[in-house]
Parts: sequence; C-alpha cells; structure tokens
Amino acid sequence: MREVLHHPTGLVGAVLLSVIGLAVVLGPWVAPYDPQMFNSMARLQGPSAAHWLGTDQFGRDILSRLLDGARATILFGLGATLLGVFAGAAIGIVAGVSGRAVDSVIMRVVDGLLAVPDLLFTLLIVTMLGGGLGWAMVAVAVAFTPGMARIARSAVLSVRTREFVQAARARGESFAYVIMREVLPNAIGPLIVEATIRISFAIMLGATLSFLGLGAQPPSTDWGLMIAEARQFMFRNPWMVAAPGVAIALAAMGFNLFGDALRDLFDPRSRR
Amino acid sequence: MTARSAVAAPVAALQAARPVLEVSNYSLHYATPAGDVTALEGVSLTVAGGRTLGLVGESGSGKTSLAWAILRYLPANAREGAGRLLLSGEDLRAKSPGELLALRGRRIGMVFQDPGTSLNPTLMLGDQLTEVLVRHRGLTLKDAREKGEALLARTGISRPAEMLRRYPHEASGGEKQRVVIATAFACEPECIIFDEPTTALDVITARQIQDLFARLQEETRVAALYISHDLALVARIAHEVAVIHRGRIVEQGPAARVLAASREEYTKRLIAAVPQPRRRLVRGAPAPEALPLLAAERLTVCYGESGILDRLLGRARQQVTGAHDVDLVLRPGEILGIVGESGSGKSTIARALAGLVPFEGTVRLAERCFGSGAPFDRAYRRAVQIVFQNPDGSLNPRQRVRDILARPLILYGLARRSELDARIGALLESVLLPRDFAGRYPHQLSGGEKQRVAIARAFAAQPRVVLCDEVTSSLDVSVQAQVVRLLVDLQARTGCAVLFISHDINLVRQIAHRIAVMQGGECVDLFDVVEAHAPGRHPYTRRLLDAVTTLPAAAGEPGP
Repeated sequence: MREVLHHPTGLVGAVLLSVIGLAVVLGPWVAPYDPQMFNSMARLQGPSAAHWLGTDQFGRDILSRLLDGARATILFGLGATLLGVFAGAAIGIVAGVSGRAVDSVIMRVVDGLLAVPDLLFTLLIVTMLGGGLGWAMVAVAVAFTPGMARIARSAVLSVRTREFVQAARARGESFAYVIMREVLPNAIGPLIVEATIRISFAIMLGATLSFLGLGAQPPSTDWGLMIAEARQFMFRNPWMVAAPGVAIALAAMGFNLFGDALRDLFDPRSRR
Repeated sequence: MTARSAVAAPVAALQAARPVLEVSNYSLHYATPAGDVTALEGVSLTVAGGRTLGLVGESGSGKTSLAWAILRYLPANAREGAGRLLLSGEDLRAKSPGELLALRGRRIGMVFQDPGTSLNPTLMLGDQLTEVLVRHRGLTLKDAREKGEALLARTGISRPAEMLRRYPHEASGGEKQRVVIATAFACEPECIIFDEPTTALDVITARQIQDLFARLQEETRVAALYISHDLALVARIAHEVAVIHRGRIVEQGPAARVLAASREEYTKRLIAAVPQPRRRLVRGAPAPEALPLLAAERLTVCYGESGILDRLLGRARQQVTGAHDVDLVLRPGEILGIVGESGSGKSTIARALAGLVPFEGTVRLAERCFGSGAPFDRAYRRAVQIVFQNPDGSLNPRQRVRDILARPLILYGLARRSELDARIGALLESVLLPRDFAGRYPHQLSGGEKQRVAIARAFAAQPRVVLCDEVTSSLDVSVQAQVVRLLVDLQARTGCAVLFISHDINLVRQIAHRIAVMQGGECVDLFDVVEAHAPGRHPYTRRLLDAVTTLPAAAGEPGP
C-alpha cells in the first residue's frame, strides 16, 4: 500500500478514491439539502452560495443529489466487478487446471463472447432479464466474465508449471490443496489489478445503462440517470450534466490510475 | 617481398608484447535505492596481443560488469570511479558515443553467453554477419558475402553458403555460436571479449567451440579476455588467469602457476570446489546382489497430446518421445548418476518416477508394482521424493520456510502439531541452516539456502528414494560443493537411495556409485563409476568423457 502511494499516478488515484470513498460513506449525512426536495423557487440555477453546483428542473440541489447518488453508483461498480471477477476467475481456473479438452471448449466459448462489445452484451442481457439496477449489475458482471476468465486462465497456466506446484503434485497433494494453497495465492495479483481497472468500466457501463433508461429508475440519484434526466435542460443549465459527468469521470480516473499503479507494482519487471 | 616480411616479423613480435587491453585501478559502483553497490574496486589487468586472459569468478563477482565497462555499455545508474580503460593505449573513457560506435565490432569484438539472444531472430545469419563487414570495413554487399562465407568456413561450418541463408531458429546452438564468433573475428579486431561463450551449450558442442576459439586465437593473434565461472576450462585455454571476488582481483598470474600453487585463500577454496572425478566424496558401494529398491521397466514417456480442436480438424500433433524403453534399477543406499545432454531424457525419467508425467511401462518400489493401471499412491509418493533444479521456482514464494517444511510432516502424518516446531528446527539444522530461518520467506534466502530448504523438505518425508534433478546446476561452484557434500552426508545418514541427475559428468563421477548415460531418450550405457574409462564403454560415453575439461592433476590436490 505504501508503495502505491509512492507511485506518482497511484497517489493521484488514491486521493481521488478517498474523496469518492468519503462521499459513499458520509454522502447522505453531509448533503446540505434533501436530495429529493423540490423547490419551485430555485429551478435550473447555476452555482451559488446556497447551491454550490446549482439546481435541476425541480429545484433539487445538485450537490446533494451527487453525494446521495455516490453510494448507488460506486457500489454498482464494485458489485458488478466483484461478481464478474468471481465468475470469471472460477471459469478461468477450471480451464487452466483441467486437461486440454475442457480447456479448449471453455476457451473457444470465451473467445466467442469476447468478440461481442461489452455495451452490446450488457444491453442484450438486460433486455433478456429486464431493467432495474439489480439486473443491470448482473448484466455488467456477465459481460465481464469472459475477459476475467481469460486473465485468470493465463495467470493459472503460468503458475501451474512452476516447480513448487510440481513439487506439491509429486508429494501427492489433493487437487483442491494444489489450487487453493499453491496456485491461487500466486495467481491472484493480475486478477486484483484487472479488477481494479474494471471497476471504472463497470461504473461507466452502469451510467450508460441508466442513461438509456435500463438501469436505475427515477427519482433515483444514480449519476448516469442524473445525466439522462438533465439532457433536455443541457443548454439552459449545463451544470446539470457537467456535475454528474465530471463525478463519473473522476471516479473512473481514480480507479484506473490506482489500478495502473497496482499493475506496475505487481509486474516483476518494474520492480528493483 | 622478402624485405617486407623481414621487417614485418619483428613488428609482429613487438605487437605481441605490447598490451592491447589495459585496465588500471578501475572502480565501478551502482547507485540503487538501497545505497551504492560496489561492482568493481581497483581492478587492474592487461591482455597482450596473442594472449588469452581468463577472468574467473562466481556470479555477482563483477566479471560481467567489467566486460560492459570496457565495451562502454553501462546502465544509467553506474557510477565510475577513478581508473583507466585503455585499448592499444587509447583511453576508452574519453571516447564520444560516435567514436565508440565505430570502435565496437571493428576494434573490440564480443561474444556473449547465449547465442540465442545475441542474434536477431528476424534476420538471416548471413545478413547479420555481412552487416559488420559492410559497416566497418566498407565492403560491397557482394564482397561481404564472399568474405562472410570464408569466415564461416574457418569456424568449421561445413556448408557456409547455406548457413548464411538460414535464420537463427534454423540453426543449432553450436552453429549460432560459430556465427557469432565469426562475426566477432570478422573485422580482425585487436581485442575480443568472451563472456561465458559455451555455458549455454552442451558438453560436446562446448568443447568444439572452445577448440575453435583456441585455433582462431592462435591464427589471428587477437588479445582475448575470456570470462568464465569454470576454472577447469579457463585453466585449459588461457595463458594467464585472474580470479575476481566481490569486485576485486584477488589473484593474477600464469594459468599453470595460479592453479598449481595459488597463493590466495579464496582461489584455493575455488579450486577445491571444482568437481574432480579423482576426489570421491562417497565411500564404499552397496552390495551389488542387494534386491532392487526402485526399478523402472520399459519406461516410455511421450509428450504432445493432441487438442480437441486439432483432433476435430484431423490434425495429428507430433508426438515427442521424452524417454523410450528405459530400464533402470536403483539399489538400497545407492547413488545412481544419470548424465546426458539437454533433451536426452534424463529429467523426463525423474519426472516420470515422481508421478509428474504419464508413462508407459512399470515402476517397482520394493515389492509393489505401479503402472498405467495402478497409479502411484500416497505411500509411494512419500517414499520417493524429488528435488528440482531451480531453487527459485521450487519454493512457493507466498509461504514461509516453516509452512514449506511443515507440509510433508502434516501430509504424511509424521508429526503431531505440538512437535512441529521442534521437527522443523531439527530439519533446518540437518541442512546446516539456523533454526530462525523458519520465519523467513524464500526471497529472503540465497540460492544455496533455498536449495537446502528444498532438500530438507524432501528428507522431511523420511523417503527411501530421493530424485535429484540437476539440483546444483543453477548454483555457483563453491555453493554447489557445499550442497553436494550436504546431500552425500544426508544420504549416508539416512541410508536412502539417490538418483542424481546432472549434466556435469565430473560432479557425477565424484559422488555416484554407478552412472547411466542417456542419449536421445534412451539409456545407452550403464557402468560402475570405477569403470568409466574401461574399454567396453559406449562410443557416446567416451565422447562425453573426452569433451569435459578436468583440472590438471596437480591442481587442488591436498598437500602431503
């Protein structure tokens, strides 16, 4: 962790993530207004002392809505990624440790799925499963699964041939022991790095789904939904689009930079 | 004509005496986050025309740093101290990058360890050889090709014109190194630096390359700096020897003198560590009539299983035979050596016996029989332990030494939880490591220490057979000597049998009771160690024995 903070971009990422982390934890309590409170006296206002980021078409305080929505948006990204990582890692590890036949069947399916763009894949699944934040999360997770499977498999393959794994097999260790105690602890690095970078994609995909009306539903304060709702007022009050847009961009950047730093630190070539 | 040669002869004699390469009082440090690391300190040496200076040292002694410094290829964090690097009296440190570019390859040649990486895989060998001639000697492409062919012919390649049109992957390691050597000699440089040029090659090929080096050096009268870790080899080909240890030259002098009567303690230790077949490390042999402990019968291993897609498309994969119909018998308490070149199948045998690759044939342990229908059970796996070549790879980097050593004890039910710490401590002491190493991670240990832990792990299972697959090949010669002594000692104490696989025939002759010779996946010869030079030996065995260099008889013998 200390090494991440000494990494130049890692530090920027860590700072961004801690600001967003604070919003996730304290958001609803530090928000100056009730995020759902209409105020017909102050509609579509720009930034002012009373409303730091202005107000929307119903006079709701944008800063309060952003702080309130951080939780849903970020947790969506984390949840979708976590689901995708677990599913992908499980498939990838099975492919990596089983014989050639199972491996090639799994990986050809994975290759096929990888050819479908993430957004298209997500849309397909959402239309099959139905809208709403929960299903959108599952959809993003499913879209992430093939990519994670591929990374998990290659990590497992590179560890599997190492001599300490051979030594464990020669000792007569059980299959589960070899996987859980010898292979996995040494293959987990690339997975963590990839997962961190993918959180930002998940947030953006979630925002896109909400924007398209397939994710969070009004009057939720999800950032993507906020942009969707603000679209028609974009020219009368650009702050309505800019504020959640910048928030999403900063969150994505935070996770990306942090992930990049982790990748550099896990890469043995960049060490020493 | 006669007048010219009459003048030329004394000039040549003069040149021979003049130092071509002169390093005086040279120091080099590397700046690292952990502070300065001294690579070279006060190094002085000279190489005259027509002479070979052998620079001998273990890994990390600074020998390669010196080569880089002379070639002026230093990394960004290198800090040079005082001292001079002179090539025929010209200061190399004062040269501009442009001058150095013109100088490298033309006036200083270089030959590195691995011909696989020093050649560009995307260029034909001919292009890489002629490039030097076109660039440094201004030849036209056509002339350069002819000259290149002549140069290659001189290195003993039978069809040079054809070799010139090949890509590196189409040539063997020995052929590639010949091309690299031809390139180094192409511009008739004053000085050539050889950095372990035969370490990556098989014994027989290495010997051919060494002989080639000696012949070319004799012909061209080049000044050669020959860097190697192999004292026996340097003793044979070098005129003078310099021994380097932790960045300092500890001893320097004529090769014969340094080896026969070294003055420095470090040199003596180094010489003593070199494996010599005459100095046996084991006493006595097990009774030959004893019942076999472990026996392999018609052991065959094939690599390369076809994938499902290949099978669907009707593409049959080429099957590679790792071992073919090998019969081996290991007697109780015996050390059986297996020697052979890389790819001869010697490691395959160990992997098959350890249950790591599927095999055909049968394996008997005492009265029990294993084979395709009867896979190895836990009792077999406990009785037959394996130690691998690379100590960096054979210990899980995420586990402490304690966990690594505890695992076989727990797995085979050899110790109760309450006894674990005491048993691990005893195991560490049995391999001459301090008890507090139990809390360390593998990366906190040196290569030799890691290999000791790996050996302790194998002996923790109280095995009846230990398979040692090149266990000392990645270690320095002095560490190798310690590890081998330890292994022999443990073997004698526990009475287990050892299958000792190595490419180092001298080492195997030092410790094995019997030696099996592998070639192309088959066991071609099997003999008692005292009969190594007996008349009935297989021709391949004889070629192997002739190819290895041993220290001259006088060197390193304990005094009367």
